[in-house]
Amino acid sequence: MSFVLECPNCGVREVTDFGFGGEISPRPKERPSFRELNTYNYFRRNVAGVQREWWFHRSGCRAWFIAERDTTTNEVKFTALP
Amino acid sequence: MSRLGKQPGERIARDTTVTFTFDGKQVQAHEGDTIASALYAAGQRTFSRSFKYHRRRGLMCVAGQCPNCICAVDGAPGARACTEPAREGITVTHVNATPSLEFDAMRATDIFGGPFTPPGFYYKTFIKPRRLWPLYEKILRNAAGLGKLRKSQPEREWRTEYRRRHADVLVTGGGIAGLNAALAAAQLGADVVLADEGAEPGGQRLIGGEVHEIAALVERVRGAGVEIIDHGSALGYFDGMVPVWQRDTLHQVRAAQHVFATGAIEQPLVFAGNDLPGVMLAGGARRLVSLYAVSPGRRAVVATTSDRGLDAAVALRAAGVQIVAIADLRPDAGDAARALRADGVPVFAGHTVIEARGSKHVDHAVIGAAGIGSGGDEHEFECDLIVVSGGATPASSLLLQAGAESAYDPARGHFALAALPDGLHAAGEVAGAETDETVAWSGELAGLQAAHALGRATDESTARVTELEGLLAQPNAVAIAVAPPVSGEGRGKCFACLCEDVTSKDVHLSIEEGYDSIELSKRYTTVTMGPCQGRMCQLPSVRLMAQETGQSLQQVGTTTARPPWVSVPMGILGGRPVEPAKRSAIHDRHRELGATVKWAGDWRRAYDYGDPEGEALAVNRAAGLIDVSTLGKLIVRGPDAGAFLDRLYPNRFANLKPGRIRYGVISSDAGRIVDDGTICRIDDETFYVTTTSSGAGAVEEWFSWWLADWGDDVQLTDVTQGLSAVNLAGPKAREIMGAVTDLDCSNEAFAYMDGKQARIAGVDCLILRIGFVGEVGYEIHFPSAYGEHVWDALMDAGKPHGLRPFGLEPQRILRLQKMHILVGQDTDSESTPFAAAMPWIVKLDKEDDFIGKWALEHYAQQTPTTALVGFTLPNGHVPTEGAVVVDAAGTPAGQVTSARHSPVLDRTIGMAWVPEALAHDGAKITISDEGVTLVADIQTRPFYDPDGEVLRS
Amino acid sequence: MNLDFLIPAADDGALAHSPMEPPARKAGARFEVRDGWNVAVEFPSRSAAEDAVTWADVSHLPKVELQGASAAIDAAAGVELPFGTAVRQGDAWWCRLTGTRALIVGARPALESADGVNTLDVTSNFAALTVMGPLARETFARFCALDLRPHVTPVNALRPGSIGRQPGILIREDEDRYLFLFGWATGEYMWSVVHDAATHLGGGPVGTDALAKVAVGA
Repeated sequence: MSFVLECPNCGVREVTDFGFGGEISPRPKERPSFRELNTYNYFRRNVAGVQREWWFHRSGCRAWFIAERDTTTNEVKFTALP
Repeated sequence: MSRLGKQPGERIARDTTVTFTFDGKQVQAHEGDTIASALYAAGQRTFSRSFKYHRRRGLMCVAGQCPNCICAVDGAPGARACTEPAREGITVTHVNATPSLEFDAMRATDIFGGPFTPPGFYYKTFIKPRRLWPLYEKILRNAAGLGKLRKSQPEREWRTEYRRRHADVLVTGGGIAGLNAALAAAQLGADVVLADEGAEPGGQRLIGGEVHEIAALVERVRGAGVEIIDHGSALGYFDGMVPVWQRDTLHQVRAAQHVFATGAIEQPLVFAGNDLPGVMLAGGARRLVSLYAVSPGRRAVVATTSDRGLDAAVALRAAGVQIVAIADLRPDAGDAARALRADGVPVFAGHTVIEARGSKHVDHAVIGAAGIGSGGDEHEFECDLIVVSGGATPASSLLLQAGAESAYDPARGHFALAALPDGLHAAGEVAGAETDETVAWSGELAGLQAAHALGRATDESTARVTELEGLLAQPNAVAIAVAPPVSGEGRGKCFACLCEDVTSKDVHLSIEEGYDSIELSKRYTTVTMGPCQGRMCQLPSVRLMAQETGQSLQQVGTTTARPPWVSVPMGILGGRPVEPAKRSAIHDRHRELGATVKWAGDWRRAYDYGDPEGEALAVNRAAGLIDVSTLGKLIVRGPDAGAFLDRLYPNRFANLKPGRIRYGVISSDAGRIVDDGTICRIDDETFYVTTTSSGAGAVEEWFSWWLADWGDDVQLTDVTQGLSAVNLAGPKAREIMGAVTDLDCSNEAFAYMDGKQARIAGVDCLILRIGFVGEVGYEIHFPSAYGEHVWDALMDAGKPHGLRPFGLEPQRILRLQKMHILVGQDTDSESTPFAAAMPWIVKLDKEDDFIGKWALEHYAQQTPTTALVGFTLPNGHVPTEGAVVVDAAGTPAGQVTSARHSPVLDRTIGMAWVPEALAHDGAKITISDEGVTLVADIQTRPFYDPDGEVLRS
Repeated sequence: MNLDFLIPAADDGALAHSPMEPPARKAGARFEVRDGWNVAVEFPSRSAAEDAVTWADVSHLPKVELQGASAAIDAAAGVELPFGTAVRQGDAWWCRLTGTRALIVGARPALESADGVNTLDVTSNFAALTVMGPLARETFARFCALDLRPHVTPVNALRPGSIGRQPGILIREDEDRYLFLFGWATGEYMWSVVHDAATHLGGGPVGTDALAKVAVGA
């Protein structure tokens, strides 16, 4: 695994510059049921294909951003600040 | 040393002499020689013993592709004699033969061991009795291999390093196609790197003797600004990055466009005895002649499927080799064959070699009609060389790794490239070009297309692309016959894979046993898994499987292409031996004070100063000073700072008064403890947050993640490395603090959990009165630039009071006396604040939502099944951290997380997770510690100063 | 209370030290006190190194973080701070890191009056080296994956990213000159990384007296 991502602040960097924050699973807005809470905490869609996910420019500006990445090819479709 | 007369393209400098030793014997060589060319010139014919059967193996490819000439150079195994330059004074030794290459005791495996060594034999033959496996293993490990690493190697200076190179275009392969591609792309202004495996660019064409033409082309390429990496092997393709190994450097080349001009690999033929020394690929025989002026033999039989073999026959004849006979598999061998016949060379059309005979070396060859077994039409010839050419297969591994697809081409008898993803270009033989002209054209085309993809097209270059596409669209295929999977089977071992000694019969057997897909068969027989990485054996094994299963070759397919494409020393991948280390600004002072320094996460920390219990006791009795610069330190600032922290922590911070401190535990939305630390409010909008040493980075990321989501008007600044921090603690700490500052340090003026600012020795400090170690204590934070200055001032001021430095280990004793948890040591990813005996930290009555609230509300209703408690042991035994707490039935029911001898209490204290039923004072638990059973008394309140009177005094 | 405890501006003879002082001392540095800092001003001369690559410890450079809305930061700077380019003003580089954060390196301007902007002294957050010479780029190529080819990273380019396997910030100050900022606690480590790569290329350390003034504008 050696792909590159474009940090919205800093530009294109090696993947090793970044921290991976996992797929985006929004926090419930209202008090969830116990089942909904566990789904939010523990269940991931684990898409084989394009998914939206969090990335953190750990070695650079230390900002979080959102990326769309194809999990089967590691092709990053786009990145943007949240 | 016998050499031919001067060859037009020879690479040796005849007026030089290089001397090295091979198995103790002196060998003379010229500059430009490889180890193998010099040895061959000196008469050496056996170069190694094979992996399993210990059969003699001689030179075959002379191009660094096959495993036959693997040797050890100066003790380092894995070198290929045919590409490794002969250098003055090196020590070359053979591998995998005991006691010597000429007499190898393990040869018995070949003669007698056949039935005992089928694929997977170590699971079959050597399995009973089971208790003997360690013995079998020892024998097998000695028997198999490609060399040995010395157990104790004298330390040597071997500098390996990485070099990062960014490029617009990387051209991999420096043959004619690669050179033309590089030139075309560079002429359009692209920044081009060319990686070539050879000592010099030119590829296959070098053996044709056109050295001047090639040199001129290389000059033009360099002149166009191309960086040429010679001796550069591309190891794999990693999302646009190709590591190129050149001697002691690993160039990590990331390019926007890639041109692969990796050529084709000449294929061997599979027949009885096809591994005997004296069986050589046509290209190998030609390289010996044209590059090193070494004759491969005196009398040769040539077996071929295309003009490659005939060209070799012509070249070898010119070098004085007698061509006894040629077996050309094609029904009509064409003009080249007719010319050879006219010169008196017998050419047998529709024939191939079916058996090589000889004990140590080829002495006869049998040719016959193609196919399994023998036909009636057989001819035997006396010879010392069998030149074989089974066609060529595109060297497409790197392209396939990069996402290209291949498909079986029945006319060419190999898997050809079928589709290329964006940014990838193929040129030359790997792309199917077979003639000198088309190879050059396809190279130029690929170079232009790569540059065009970068937006560098001109009218002229666009027109040229159209022209080249037209030229390349014309039919230019060369006549070729497809080699049979195996010939002469039954007459002797027919090797499909030389690296791993896999015969055609082994492949048949693996299919019989059910390993009937190519990927399964690969893993079972290990075919393609040896040093040649499938170069020589992929196609033969696919053919054998297709024949055996009745599938087409397309259906059988190929195994997945994977890195490394070239076997590479681990040291090359290792890079430089520097490990990122963080050091406190006071680090050198600790060393001067005799500290034992250990890794703590990525920090180098003072573990103790030689006397951990004495240091702990000093804190309890007088005063101690510890460097806690590793603590995470975060400034949270902005109008929403208080509200932000209230949403992150289960307790309240918005109501914290400036100058006051509060302890906080961060929990996740699953209600689990993430980290802990103290928070001091500086002013209305500013909080100073400390985290655990190991959690510093993660907490900042956690905070900024939620900030990114919520968008509060808050700024986070990590000042962990910017500030040093020391903790002054003990009964005398107050006096010392009073001496170094102008603060009123009375308990009324500077109370527990107060934060103040003051100057110490001229340095502005933030002073937090907290008590991790259980005594009156001050945590002092100040700019790292003054680390040793402030430390020294405190040590000087404390000297009259018995102040001692203390390290991490005594701190762990002290905090354990207070049952202060270490997140990650006493808790794990499943621990909730309730189970960890900190229900008071969770303020479920907070009106607003906070992270973890929903889960913690749930856990507040539940009785935890296990709880974190303290324990004491009477007899002085300190259990191992991680020792098991067992129930009455002896079943594991918990574990010890911390245990120490407390010097001030003089007994063993510890913390453990125990069943909830036992989590009360007076209960007893049983600890099973590596075979020792201990009974401990539970204690739920701190061992030292349980009511915190000392701390708050 | 306030955040003055972040500022390395002590009195009573307290001397500020770079984290790279121990290795610099081993390499024979001569130190002088400059503005309260113990600075390695000179090393035993190695003229050959200047034709390859040299590096100087400039950790004493003041560094200030600016926080605020994008426009407020630009207003405080008096110029629009773009991403990816450091702006030279006086003796300082003004570097936009994110939409709400910028870093000033080389000066501690008086910004108390700037509207909507907070400042934070981060001088001892970042150790710093000036790396210069014809082989400066090759030196970085040994331990960093940043694309420093001149057309990708022009003079004045600002490149936060992983350098020597640690978070770093690189400013291309001039043709063959880079300012490299990294974590204070990694100072000794980073010196060893730069030393290892640079000396292999024929380079050596120099004192701050060997530094020419940075040319403004490009």
